Amino acid sequence: MLNERAFKAVGRPLPRKEDLRLVTGKGRFTDDFSLPGQVWAAMVRSPHPHARIVAIDPEPAIAMPGVLGVYTGADCERDGLKSIPHNPVPSTNFDVKLTGRNGTKVFIGSHMLLPADKARHVGEAVAMVVAETRDQALAAAEAVDVTYDVLPWVADTAAAAEPDAPRLWDELPDNILVDSSFGDVEATDAAFARAAHVVTMRTHIGRVTGVPLEPRAALGHYDGATGRYTLYAGSGGAVRQKREVAEVLGEAPENLRVLSFDVGGNFGTRNRLYVESGLVLWASRKLSRPVKFRAERSEAFLTDYQGRDLVTEVSLAIDRDGKFLAMRASNLSNVGSRCVSLSPLSKGSGLITGSYDIPCATLRSRAVYSNTMPTQAYRSSGRPEVTFAIERLIDKAARELGFDRLELRRRNLVRPQQMPYVNAVGSTYDSGEYEANMDRLLALADWQDVEARRAEAKARGKILGVGFANYVESSIGTPKERADVIVRPDGVEVVIGTQPAGQGHETSFAQVTADLLGVPFDNVTITLGDTDVVSAGGGTHSGRSMRHASTVLALASEDLIAKGRALAAHCLDVPLDDVVFEDGVFGVADRNTFLTWFDLASRAGDKGLPEQLRGGLKVRRDSEMHTPVFPNGACCCEIEIDPETGGLDIVRYATVDDVGRCINPLIVHGQTHGGIAQGVGQALWEQCVIDPGSGQPTSGSLMDYGMPRFDNMPSFKTQIVEVLSPTNPFGVKAGGEGGTTPAPAVIMSAVEDALSEFGPVDFEMPATALKIWSLIQRSRGRSRSSGAA
Amino acid sequence: MAMVSMTVNGAPVSREVEDNTLLAYFLRESLGLTGTHIGCDTTQCGCCVVHVDGRSVKSCTMLAAQANGCAVTTIEGLAAGDKLHPVQEAFHKYHALQCGFCTPGMIMAATNLIETYKGDLTEEIVREEMEGNLCRCTGYHNIVKAILAAADDMRQTRSAA
Repeated sequence: MLNERAFKAVGRPLPRKEDLRLVTGKGRFTDDFSLPGQVWAAMVRSPHPHARIVAIDPEPAIAMPGVLGVYTGADCERDGLKSIPHNPVPSTNFDVKLTGRNGTKVFIGSHMLLPADKARHVGEAVAMVVAETRDQALAAAEAVDVTYDVLPWVADTAAAAEPDAPRLWDELPDNILVDSSFGDVEATDAAFARAAHVVTMRTHIGRVTGVPLEPRAALGHYDGATGRYTLYAGSGGAVRQKREVAEVLGEAPENLRVLSFDVGGNFGTRNRLYVESGLVLWASRKLSRPVKFRAERSEAFLTDYQGRDLVTEVSLAIDRDGKFLAMRASNLSNVGSRCVSLSPLSKGSGLITGSYDIPCATLRSRAVYSNTMPTQAYRSSGRPEVTFAIERLIDKAARELGFDRLELRRRNLVRPQQMPYVNAVGSTYDSGEYEANMDRLLALADWQDVEARRAEAKARGKILGVGFANYVESSIGTPKERADVIVRPDGVEVVIGTQPAGQGHETSFAQVTADLLGVPFDNVTITLGDTDVVSAGGGTHSGRSMRHASTVLALASEDLIAKGRALAAHCLDVPLDDVVFEDGVFGVADRNTFLTWFDLASRAGDKGLPEQLRGGLKVRRDSEMHTPVFPNGACCCEIEIDPETGGLDIVRYATVDDVGRCINPLIVHGQTHGGIAQGVGQALWEQCVIDPGSGQPTSGSLMDYGMPRFDNMPSFKTQIVEVLSPTNPFGVKAGGEGGTTPAPAVIMSAVEDALSEFGPVDFEMPATALKIWSLIQRSRGRSRSSGAA
Repeated sequence: MAMVSMTVNGAPVSREVEDNTLLAYFLRESLGLTGTHIGCDTTQCGCCVVHVDGRSVKSCTMLAAQANGCAVTTIEGLAAGDKLHPVQEAFHKYHALQCGFCTPGMIMAATNLIETYKGDLTEEIVREEMEGNLCRCTGYHNIVKAILAAADDMRQTRSAA
C-alpha cells in the first residue's frame, strides 16, 4: 500500500528536469544528428490519388550531379523487404472486437516501403533518390520519370463506402474492411418503440492532421563491420519501431538500434512507422553511407499520418420526463489508403453512450479505405468524435423538446454509486463524480452570470454564445511495460520504455520513484529512447504512460526494497526480520544504526557478498495491465461573434478534469491547455481539404491549414479533480487528452447557442467566419423576404 | 560559393557556403548550432528565430550572405554561462514548453519583444506581437504567463540599475 503521507514529490508542481537542455538549444531532436559521410534521401511522390505504376525510368535522375541511387517498389520486392506489420486491430482484453463482414478477419492491405503496384493517395512515395546533398536529392527526385495509368479515385468517407465506389484493394469486393455490430438489438428496438421522443443526428467529424512542429526525420546507418543498423528517428516508442523495422528488413531485432530522444511533438502522428525510416536503413546498406531524410512541412501535411474522419449517425430514445432509454449509433471511419490503425474506431465504439446511464444501445462500426493519407490515432483517438455525437445530440434534444440542456444532462448522468458502471456496449467505467464535475465547472465558469455577459456583449454589437459538454474517455493502450531501477552511490536511474514528446516523463516518473524509494527527487534520473538500453516497453499513446509507469515502478520498488533489506541485513549483521525500511532508510529497531540507499549501493559491489546479494542494487520488473481507466470531466466556453463579419473570439474557456491521481499539476494543467487548443483547432480552423474535382489535397502548408495561434486562443481556467482509480496502485487515470475530448463539442455548442436567433446551425466543423457569416446572411435574407411578403 | 563572415554568439566565424544557403541552415549545418530549429518552409512557424544586430529574424528567410558582417545571437548564446536568461528561467518556471521544439524561437522572439517594446506589455499585446510563432503543445497559455513574468523581471532589473 502507498503511504500518501510520505509523499514529498508526488502531487507537487515541480518544474521539469527536461527544460534545461531545451531552453538552451541543447535538445537532441532527430535532425540534430549527423554522421560522417552522410548522404540525403528525397522521395518521388505520386501526384495522383490513384494510379497504377506502369514504369519508372530513373535514368534522367541518375545522370544528375551527386546522385548515388534511385530505388523503387520493384527494388524493394527484389530485395525481399516485407510489409510494415502495423498490427492495426486493437487487441487488449478490453478493446471492442472489430471484424470484417459477418465476423470475418479484417483485411489489411500490404504497406511496403515503396509500392510496386499502384499509388493509392496523393503524396505516396513511389521512389527514393539518394544523393550527396539534400538539394541534389530533391532536384533529382523531380527528374525521375514515372509512367502512371491514372485510375478512378474516391476520397470522401461516405462516398468511399458506396458499393460502386472506385476500389483500392482487389482483395475486397468494395472498400469496407470493418463491419461489426454491438449491443442488444431487441432491447434497443423495444425501447425506441415505447419512447416518447426520438432525436437523430448525422455528422461528419472531418479530417485533421497533428502538425507536430518538428517535421519528421530519419537518419539510418548500416555498419558493414558489425552488421548492425542504427536508426535515429523520433517516434512514439523506439521499441515498437525497432521490432517493425527489423521485420521489414528481414533482420533479427538485435541487429537494430533505434534512438528516439527529444521528439518535437507527436499527438499520435509518430506512433506508426513511416516508410522513410525503413528506406534510409535499406539505402544505407546498399550504399555503405549513412542516409538522412527530413520532411518538408508540405510533405508533412501530405504524408504525416492524419486523424479523425468519422461519419456518425446517432439516435436517442427519450421518455416523457427526459430520461434516456436507448441509443443507436452507426460509425464509419475513413482509414485512408492503408490500414495502419483502427484505434479511433475502436476507442469510440466503447464510449458511444458518453457520461450517461443509457440502459441499452446498438452500434454498427465500419471502416473504409479511400484514396487519402492513412489515419491514425490522433490526440484522444476516437473520443472527441463520439463525445461530439452524444453531446451535440443532447443539445439538440433539449432545444427541440424544450428541456434545459444542463437539467437534461443531470437527469441522465451515471451516478457515483453506480461505479464501477458497465455501459450498454460493455465498457466498465472505473470511477468518477460526473455530476459533481458539472457543479464544479459551472462555479469555475461563473455560469450564473452568463445572461448578464450576454446582454453586455449585445450592447457592444457582439453575440455571445455559451457552450457546454460533459465527457468520459477511456485510456487503454499497450498493456505491457518494463522498468529497470538501478541504485548507484550517486543516484537512482530508471530505464523505461515509454516515449515522451513533451509530456515530462523525466520529471513525473522521477517524482514517483523518489517517493516510492524515499530518495530526493533530484537524485533520480530517467533513461528513455535508446533500444540498446531500453529493452522493452509500450511507448506513449492513449494516455497510458503515467499509469503504466507508476504501476511498474511501484512493483519494481517492492522488489528493490526487498533486495535492499537483504543487503542491509548483511551489512548491519542482523537477521532480515530486524531490518526496518522507513523514509528511504534501512535501520534496525531500537538501534541508532542505519544505511541509506546510496550507502547500500556503495556496498553492493563488495567482494565477499553472499551469492544472492551480488549483481548490484538493481531490479528489472515487467508488468501487464489490461484494465482500462476512464478519465472524465466537463467543459464550458464562451464565444463572441461579430454578426457583420462572422468573426469569432473565444472569450472564456473552463474545464474540470478528473485525471485520477495527479503526479505533477504543473504538467497536467499544461497537458490540458495544449489538448484544448488541438480540440478547438478542429472546431474552428483545422481541416485537411481535398479538392473534390481533382482529388488533390489543398491544405499543404501552414498558410492553408488553420492553426491555433497566440492571438486566436484565450487563457484558460482549468481545474484538476482527483477521484482515484481503483485499477492501479497510484490511482492514476490520464491527463493528456481530456483537454481535447470535449473541445469540438463545446465549441459547436457555443456557436449554436450564439446563432440560435438565426436558425439551426447547418454546417460541419470547422466553424469558419465564412460559414457563420453566410448563415447569418441567409437568415436575414429570409426574414427580409418574408417581411416584404 | 561565397565566403560569409559574421559574429555568432560573440565569436567571429567565416565559412564558404553555397550562394543560396539560408541563415538557418548555415547555423545548423555549417556551425553545428542545432538549437535553431526549422519547422516549416513558409516563414510561418517561428522555430528558427534568432537575433541579427539586435532584431528578431526568422533565419529560414534570410540568406547567410545577407547576414555577412552582422552580429547574430542564437539560443545557444542567450544564457550568461550557467546563468539562464530571465526568459529562459521564466519558461522553465511557468512550464512554457513541452516538446521544446518551438522553444528556441519562442524564447528569442520573446526576449526581443521585451527588450524592444516601448510600452507596458499586456496579455493582449503579447498575444498580438508573438503571433508569428507557433506552438502545438502548450495552447500558448503558459508561454504568455512566462513572457509577462519575464518582462516584469527584466524591467524591474533595468529600472533598479
